[in-house]
Amino acid sequence: METRSDPVTEPVVTGADGRAVARTLGRLLRQTSEYEAFWQALQAANQDPVLQRLGEQIRAQQAARLWGDEGEHEAALARLEQEVEMLSVVRDYHQAESRVNALFSAVDALISQAAGLDFAANARRSGCSCGG
Amino acid sequence: MELSAEITLTAQQLGQILGQAPAIQAYRLAVQAFAADPEALALEQRLYKSYESLLARQQAGEALSQAEILAFNRLRAEVQSHPLILRRETALREAKAYLAQVADEISLVLQVDYTALVKEP
Repeated sequence: METRSDPVTEPVVTGADGRAVARTLGRLLRQTSEYEAFWQALQAANQDPVLQRLGEQIRAQQAARLWGDEGEHEAALARLEQEVEMLSVVRDYHQAESRVNALFSAVDALISQAAGLDFAANARRSGCSCGG
Repeated sequence: MELSAEITLTAQQLGQILGQAPAIQAYRLAVQAFAADPEALALEQRLYKSYESLLARQQAGEALSQAEILAFNRLRAEVQSHPLILRRETALREAKAYLAQVADEISLVLQVDYTALVKEP
């Protein structure tokens, strides 16, 4: 983790509970139109029967790929994934996700600037943020 | 991206709290102590150089000798047990664990992983 050389130090907050402030920030983010649209798009995607069916078919092809003709299953998988990307519910989800990405990234930049380190990159539990 | 005044202030307040947190301060001090020690710096640098050199040779199809692998493992163990490097790595783990706990609070309210929705810097 690289710390930044220019942390914001004014005004200094002392004695405040980081977790409580994090919860407050979470509540404020939850009230934004970007998050509301994202949440609705996520729910819509999770409940879409066509997407569910395609998801099941993708999982079946992935399992079959382990045992059968890899090329045949790869082609079927590519077709199914293309079908998924063409669904309006998925396109709506990607659009909403992109907006919420922009919002959260802007918020994270503020947190990181004030902290003097990259917040989300270092807080990720999975994958490798590689000290970023 | 235009942010509301309330979100801006809260994000800045959170950042200031994180910057002052004991786990983060301990990490900063550990990095400073490491950077101020030429022996520790040189030792870690030697490990990186050795790793890059061995990897390049391996990728070029060359077989590494047992002695070279043993020497590399010894060097790595030396680096990992150096007190200042050990202190820095421990502090890093603790700092990341603290940051993850704080991020969890945001994620809990949002019901989605906040960190996953922030673009990689």
